[in-house]
Amino acid sequence: MKKIYTIGAIAMLFAACRPNANVTTPSTSGNANFTNYLAVGCSFSAGFADNSLTISGQLNSYPQRLFEQFETITDGQGAVAPFILPLVTGDNGYPGPKLVLSTTTYCDATTSLAPKATTLPLDSNGSWQFVGQGNNKQINAMAVPGMRVADLPVMGYAGVNSYARRFFYDPTKRPLDELYARVFNVHPTFFTMWLGIWDVMGYALAGGQGDGTGNAAPVTLNIYNTRDITPVDVFGNLYDSALAAISSTSSYGALMTVPDITALPYFTTVPMNGLTIESQGFADTLMALYSNLNDKVFNLGQNYFIIKDNDNKTRQAVPGELLLLTVPRDSITCAGWGSIKPIPREYVLTTDELQNIRNTTERYNYIIKLKAQERAMALVDMDMFFKSLESGMTYNGIEYSTEFVSGGAFSLDGLHLNPRGNALLANHVITSVNNYYKATIPQTDANKYPGVKFP
Amino acid sequence: MKKQLMTASLLLSAMASFGGGYQLNLQGLRQIAMGGSGTAWPWDASTIVYNPGGLARLKGIQVYGSMAFIMPSTAYGNRDNSGVTSANENTASQTFTPFNFYIGGRVSEDSRFGLGLGIYTPFGSGTKWDDNWLGKYIVQSVDLQTIFFQPTVSYRASEWLSVGAGFVFATGSVDFRQAMPVHGQQGADIDDGQAHLHGSATGVGFNVGAQMKVHDGLQFGVSYRSQVNMDVDGGSAKFTVPASLASSFPNTTFSSRLPLPGILSAGVGWRPVNDLTLQLDLNYAGWNSYDTLRFDFKETTSSLENVRAPRHYRNTLTTRIGACYRISRVVSIMGGAAYDPTPVTNGFVSPDLPDADRVVLTCGMTVKAARGLTLMAAFEGVNGVKRRGDYNYGGFSGVYKSTAATPAIGLYYNF
Repeated sequence: MKKIYTIGAIAMLFAACRPNANVTTPSTSGNANFTNYLAVGCSFSAGFADNSLTISGQLNSYPQRLFEQFETITDGQGAVAPFILPLVTGDNGYPGPKLVLSTTTYCDATTSLAPKATTLPLDSNGSWQFVGQGNNKQINAMAVPGMRVADLPVMGYAGVNSYARRFFYDPTKRPLDELYARVFNVHPTFFTMWLGIWDVMGYALAGGQGDGTGNAAPVTLNIYNTRDITPVDVFGNLYDSALAAISSTSSYGALMTVPDITALPYFTTVPMNGLTIESQGFADTLMALYSNLNDKVFNLGQNYFIIKDNDNKTRQAVPGELLLLTVPRDSITCAGWGSIKPIPREYVLTTDELQNIRNTTERYNYIIKLKAQERAMALVDMDMFFKSLESGMTYNGIEYSTEFVSGGAFSLDGLHLNPRGNALLANHVITSVNNYYKATIPQTDANKYPGVKFP
Repeated sequence: MKKQLMTASLLLSAMASFGGGYQLNLQGLRQIAMGGSGTAWPWDASTIVYNPGGLARLKGIQVYGSMAFIMPSTAYGNRDNSGVTSANENTASQTFTPFNFYIGGRVSEDSRFGLGLGIYTPFGSGTKWDDNWLGKYIVQSVDLQTIFFQPTVSYRASEWLSVGAGFVFATGSVDFRQAMPVHGQQGADIDDGQAHLHGSATGVGFNVGAQMKVHDGLQFGVSYRSQVNMDVDGGSAKFTVPASLASSFPNTTFSSRLPLPGILSAGVGWRPVNDLTLQLDLNYAGWNSYDTLRFDFKETTSSLENVRAPRHYRNTLTTRIGACYRISRVVSIMGGAAYDPTPVTNGFVSPDLPDADRVVLTCGMTVKAARGLTLMAAFEGVNGVKRRGDYNYGGFSGVYKSTAATPAIGLYYNF
C-alpha cells in the first residue's frame, strides 16, 4: 500500500502547483537615465485632441504614458514623480469646444454620426493661466499646440498663442528662452523632442494657400506666416538651437521625426472621386458645362470632383489629390460643389501642393536624423509609426488604422491621436528607445485607454 | 460621398477554437490512470469508446459510471514588439466535470455478440480570463461542451479476433464572450461593447475497432473514431454596443461548423508476469481538418461581417504508456505517462486555447469493494511545456504556461 501513498503524494504535489509564466522581463534603463523626463513638442505632444485641449486629453498624452513606463524601471535610473503637466481645468475644451460624436442630419435628409462641437460650457475658468507648484512651477511637458520650429526665436510669441501664454514664465520672451528655463528647472536626464509638424501643417490646413516652395520670406524680421512652409535652412538652424537648449544638461534623449501629415485622416477621409453621376443626362450636362476643359471624364458612377487649383483655375481633380475633412458635406450634396461649381481651393491639396509638403518633410527629417547621429541620441521614425497605422495595425485583438473614427486611433479632429493612439505612439517611442539605449522598458497596454466615444 | 462614419470592424478573432486541450482522454478510469492507453485491452465497459471490438469479450453485463474534475490553469505574459515581456495574467479557476456512462456486454453467456451504449464527453472544457484582461478583445471566455451517444455492437469472430462498431450522435453547446473594440462615454474597461455567442450543436460519426488476442499475455488493438462535424445552426449572437452603433451590430443568429477530429489508434498490451500488464498506445489525430474557423451571421452589416479565422492545425501523434499491477485480488494500482504534442502551430496560438506540447503523468487504483462492484480512482496531471506563442491574426503575442490537475472517480457493477 505504500506505493499508493507515494503515487498519491506525487499527485497532490502536482495538483498544488499553479502555473507561473514567470516571463516578466525586468524593466531596465540600459545606457540611459530616465530620472527626470522632459517632453518638448506641439499639439501632438500636448494631448490636444478632438480639436481642443482637455484635461483628459492631457492626461492621456504620450508623454504621460512614457513617464508611467519609465517609472517601472527598477534599476534606480527610472523616472521619479512628480511628472507635472500644465493641466486645464475641465473636459469640455479650451479655448474652443471639443468635438463629440453626435447624430447629424444632412440636407438630403440622411443622418449619420458626425463630429460636432460640444455645447457644454467651456473650461475657460482657470485654464487661461496654469498655476504651477512652488517657486519654479515645474512642468515636464513643454508642449505648445501650434508651435513651429520657426516660432522658437519669436519674441512675445505667447502673446499670439494662448496655449503658450498659459504657462510661459515670461510671455514677452522667445519660446527658446522658455525652453532654456524649463530645462534649467527640470534638469532632464531624458527628453523627447517632437517639433516640425506645424512647420508644414499650417500650409496643409490652408489647402496649400501659402508659400510652399521652401523659399518663403519672413513677414517681418524672423516671423514667418503660419500658412507658409518654413524654409529648410531656417528649420535646420533653429532645430539645432532647440537641441542645444534641451541637451544643455547633457541629457539622454529621443528625437522624433515629422510624419507625412498628408496620410492623416483629416486629408484622406473625403474621397476626391466622390462625384457620383447617376444619369447620362447629368453627365451630358457636365460635359457641356465644362466643354472648355481638357482631360475631363464624366461617366456613370464615381468621378473626380471639379476643383479650383493652385492658380485658381477650374479643372477636374486627378488621382492622388486630396480634400480636407472640413469641406462642407452639404455643399457637395445639395449645392453642387465639385460638380456644377468647383470646390474652393482652400479645401483642396493639389499634386504640386502635396509634393511641397512631402518634399519638405523629407528634408526636415534628413536634418533630424543627422542631428540625432551628431549628438548620439535615439531617433524615433514617426513616419514609420503612421505608415504602419495606415496599413492596419492589429494590436492585442484590435485592428487600428488611419480610417477616420473607425480606425480607432485618431480623435475626432482627424489630425490628432486619441488616448489609444497616444499609447500606441508611446509604445513606438519605447521600442526605439529600447533599441538605441539597450533598455528593456515594457510597453503599455494601449487598449485600456479610451478610443472614440460613441453616444 | 464616403460616409463620415464607418464603424469599427468586429474582429471576433478567436471564437471558440478548440485544440488538443479540448480533446479529453478521460473516458475510462483505468485508461486515465494508465496514461490514456487502452486500445488493446478490454478492461471494462469503457472499451465502448477505446475499442468497440473489446465489448464482445467482456464477462457479463456491466454498468459503468465515472466523473472527472478537470482543473485547468494557464498563465500568460504579454510580449511586446520590442521583445519585452510583462503583465502576467492567469485564467480564472474553473472545474469542468466530464462524465461517462456505459452499459453493455455480451448478449448472453456464450454469445459471440456484444451490445452496449456509451454516453460520454470526448471534447469539452473552456478558458475563462478576467473580463478586463489584456486579451479581452480576442476572448474573455470560451466554453465548449459535447456529449456523445454511442450505441455499439461487437462481434467475437474467433478466440483471437473481435471487432466492433458504434454509431455516434453528438450534441453539445458552445459559448463565447469577447469585448468589442467600441465603447461609450466611460471609455474602455467600464464601457466596452461585448459580443456573446451561444449555440447548441449536433453531429454524427462512428467508432470502429478490432482487438487481436495473440495469447493471454499479448493483445493488439486498432480503433478509429471518425471526425464529427458539430454543426451550429441558429445560435444566438448578441452584441452590447453604444446605442448609436446598435444598427451596425444587430442581434442576430449564427451558424458554424466545428470539426472534432478523427482519431486513429493502435495499441499493444503485454502481460509479462501474471499480475502486471503493460500497455502502449499511439493516437494519430486528424486535426488538419481544422483549417479555418467560420462563423456566418444571418444578418451582416458593413461592421458585422462573417468570420473566417485561419487555424491551420496540424495532425498529431500522441504516445501513451501505462502499467497495471495487481497487488491482491482486491486492489490494483496503475500508473502511466503520455506525450501529447500540440496541433496548434506558431502564429496561430490564440489565448482562447493557448495549446502547447503536453507531458501527462497519471496514476490510479481500483478496489473490488463487493461482489460485482468495483470502485476506481485516478489522477491525471498535465504539464504544458512553456510556450512562446504568437497569434498573428489578432496581433497578440506572449508566453504561455498551462497545467491541469484532474482527479476522477468511478465505479462499475457486473451483473
